Amino acid sequence: MGRKLFVIILSIFFMLPIFWSITSSFKGIGEIFSYPPTFFPKNPTFEGYIKVLKEHDFLLYLRNTLFVAVVATLLTVPVCLMTGYSLAKGTFRSRKFFNGLFAWTLFITAEVTMVPLFIVIRGLGLVNSIWGMIIPAVYTPTGTFAAVQYMRDIPNELLESAKIDGANEWQIFWRIVVPLSKPLMATLSIFSFTWRWNDFVLPLIVVNKKSLFTLQLALASIQEELGPYDWTAVLAFSNLTVIPTLIIFLLFQRWFMRGIMTGGLKY
Amino acid sequence: MRQLIKTRFVFLLPGLFFMSLFVLVPIASIFFISFYSWNLLSPMRFIGWANFKRMISDKYFWNSLVVTFKLMGLGVPINFFLSLSLALALYREDRFSKIFRAIFYWPCLMPAIAGATMWKWMFSYHTGLFNYILRTLGLSPIYWLEKPLNALFSVVLSGIWGVGFFMMMFITGFQNIPQELIEAARIDGANRWQTFWYVTFPCLKNTNLLVLMVSVAYSLRSFAGIYALTGGGPGYATTNIALYIYRSGLTQFRIGYAYAMSVVYFVLALVVGLIILRLQREE
Repeated sequence: MGRKLFVIILSIFFMLPIFWSITSSFKGIGEIFSYPPTFFPKNPTFEGYIKVLKEHDFLLYLRNTLFVAVVATLLTVPVCLMTGYSLAKGTFRSRKFFNGLFAWTLFITAEVTMVPLFIVIRGLGLVNSIWGMIIPAVYTPTGTFAAVQYMRDIPNELLESAKIDGANEWQIFWRIVVPLSKPLMATLSIFSFTWRWNDFVLPLIVVNKKSLFTLQLALASIQEELGPYDWTAVLAFSNLTVIPTLIIFLLFQRWFMRGIMTGGLKY
Repeated sequence: MRQLIKTRFVFLLPGLFFMSLFVLVPIASIFFISFYSWNLLSPMRFIGWANFKRMISDKYFWNSLVVTFKLMGLGVPINFFLSLSLALALYREDRFSKIFRAIFYWPCLMPAIAGATMWKWMFSYHTGLFNYILRTLGLSPIYWLEKPLNALFSVVLSGIWGVGFFMMMFITGFQNIPQELIEAARIDGANRWQTFWYVTFPCLKNTNLLVLMVSVAYSLRSFAGIYALTGGGPGYATTNIALYIYRSGLTQFRIGYAYAMSVVYFVLALVVGLIILRLQREE
């Protein structure tokens, strides 16, 4: 009994910010800044949401974000698959070395190398280009390691017997490894999409043209700009960017939970 | 070429290419460009150790390290105990546990900026829910984000939205403990607390260390959440090393100086990372 009470009270505390930002986003400008604040909106209004769509280019940012998230996912999944396969099932002598080399990139995230990463991206001419938010994200350490762990469980005998049957390495990869990796590919796609959807660091360093902003980048700038005057719109914008992650989570809950429990995947 | 294909090295090439370009090259460049003065406009100028000397005498740099470690010192223990108690409460495979695991996990999936926006609104002095509750209870409201020490605590408080991930790590750890051990303890007459304290907890030694170090790593890399919640302020009160490097490098364009500080940041991240890898190998 005590455990349930503890969990329920804590979960209420966890959900409070979400509750507060949803109810507040339906308050009109007059009400949202009224003192003392109201618990539920007295005159619920869609003002904020309409404003976000009409005046704050939500749809443009949505298009940019979707493009980045979808294209990056399409590129990263095959790369993760190949890298994972090679690191798990390769027979080259330096495999151990490369396993180590790739493993420590898990801890060198974009935050750590922000400025040097910017310089590399600038050198490639990708600053203020939508590809600047995609290409540097093709290699993902977490995704690669989920793939390595998954590939290790593929029985070697399966690969060997295919070889005996006369399949070459490409055929083994295409006809055995890829079909066996469907669950892995699904997990990686869901995670990769969410990572790119949520990403802030890469868009922040790559883009400063508003027409290329992703949703999170736009949210940060709108919050700075409108925060003092129009929280209804800020919260409406923020809530709209959260909804897709909630839908993805509800749809693929099992994948997420299993993903972190077996592959050590974050997010 | 045939050898490359036969040993499956060829499958490594695309990943190796992108990894080198966006991880190895930036890291390697740290150790060169940190010796230059550069603002992107004028040509680079070699200045020897000057950036590092300046770093050592820059009080804002030291401040950013202190902030980084304060956030760690406050946040890591809170995350650890919160996620451990949640895992203890929710490790069973019943309906209640499954539902609440999902509830506690899902904020981890939320975009950091949106999350910070929600917390910022909670912390608002006049219109935030926290002060609303305090006033309702007859207490005086708090400047959650406007005072240096409060802002630091508020950043840590908003960080508890990350515990779901650590909770899942603990639950995985619990589920890997052989059930026979726990039953044997029960049969020998140990109560729940004794079982936890003498059997479960020692079995988790590795998971404990792993959670601790991973949460240190996450704390070390926190950036987006603070950026949107406090912007590093008030003043420099919540400017950790990531934010300070960002400010110096990408808003003031003191590139060489930002590189020099990146050396320190990189070494910190690397040390934490190597400890984690070590622990994982033992598991």
